[in-house]
Amino acid sequence: MSKISIVSIISVLMIPLILIFSLYVQFHGEFSAGGGFQAGVIFASAFILYSLVFGIEKSQSVISLETSQRLMALGLSIYLLVGLIGIMSGANFLDYNVLSANPTSGQMLGIFLVEIGVGLTVANVMIVVFYSFANMKVTKK
Amino acid sequence: MMTRNLLWAVLASSIFSLLTATIFFILDAVDVSLTEAAVGAGIATILFVFTLKHLEINLKKSKSNNTILGLSLIVIVLLVFNLMDDFPRFGESKITQKSNVTEYYLENSNSEMGIPNVVTSILAGYRAFDTLGEVIVIFIAGVSVIGILREEKENE
Repeated sequence: MSKISIVSIISVLMIPLILIFSLYVQFHGEFSAGGGFQAGVIFASAFILYSLVFGIEKSQSVISLETSQRLMALGLSIYLLVGLIGIMSGANFLDYNVLSANPTSGQMLGIFLVEIGVGLTVANVMIVVFYSFANMKVTKK
Repeated sequence: MMTRNLLWAVLASSIFSLLTATIFFILDAVDVSLTEAAVGAGIATILFVFTLKHLEINLKKSKSNNTILGLSLIVIVLLVFNLMDDFPRFGESKITQKSNVTEYYLENSNSEMGIPNVVTSILAGYRAFDTLGEVIVIFIAGVSVIGILREEKENE
């Protein structure tokens, strides 16, 4: 972008704040409002703002479509793995009590891991959907 | 409010989402408010605008249905006004206080899970299986969007 516009300056100022806020919502979600879903959506919206202002190519050089697809699957895998650890340890599926010696800290750890999985999946699904829409080429008949 | 311009309609729905987010915030549902503001007012609007860019739709003026539509809208609004006395007052919770499971969550979630946010402990703890299904639905939606839009590219 050769010309510096008001929109680009404001978004350069705002995008780090939005990213930090999404991390706050993710990791402080146990104590204040928010959680994995909200954090993922806010994270994705920062990326979408970046690619709207500076172009889709620059944004795809930060997180490419392929990386985003892999991270999307990774988030769901983290969730399922946390559930399977419960089965392997002889408890029920998604039983967090076995994750740690103390049941309460096991619950905290389980919720933390599961929220990370949710956040990764939601953020990357939103980014993938946006990339797919932005790269869409409609055949003219 | 009626418009034939699809872009105005998208913007109106975005503003409506923002107003709904404000109502959720006033009702102390901050989690839902965050989601509504980011998804409804932000990402959904951008996707709609992207789609509109690719569409070439000329909405021809069809006046035949307008009277039926207007009359049915008036009937629905009158019915809702008629039933308004039965609704709970703004911000008052009539339904949830009677449930035993709500009381259990509010009393025991902090000691069992060790985290003060009851919403998070219900979503990721007590109802983790539901949330797993939710994440799978979102994942499938992403995969379907990739599949549909990619096929279109190959046909070209």
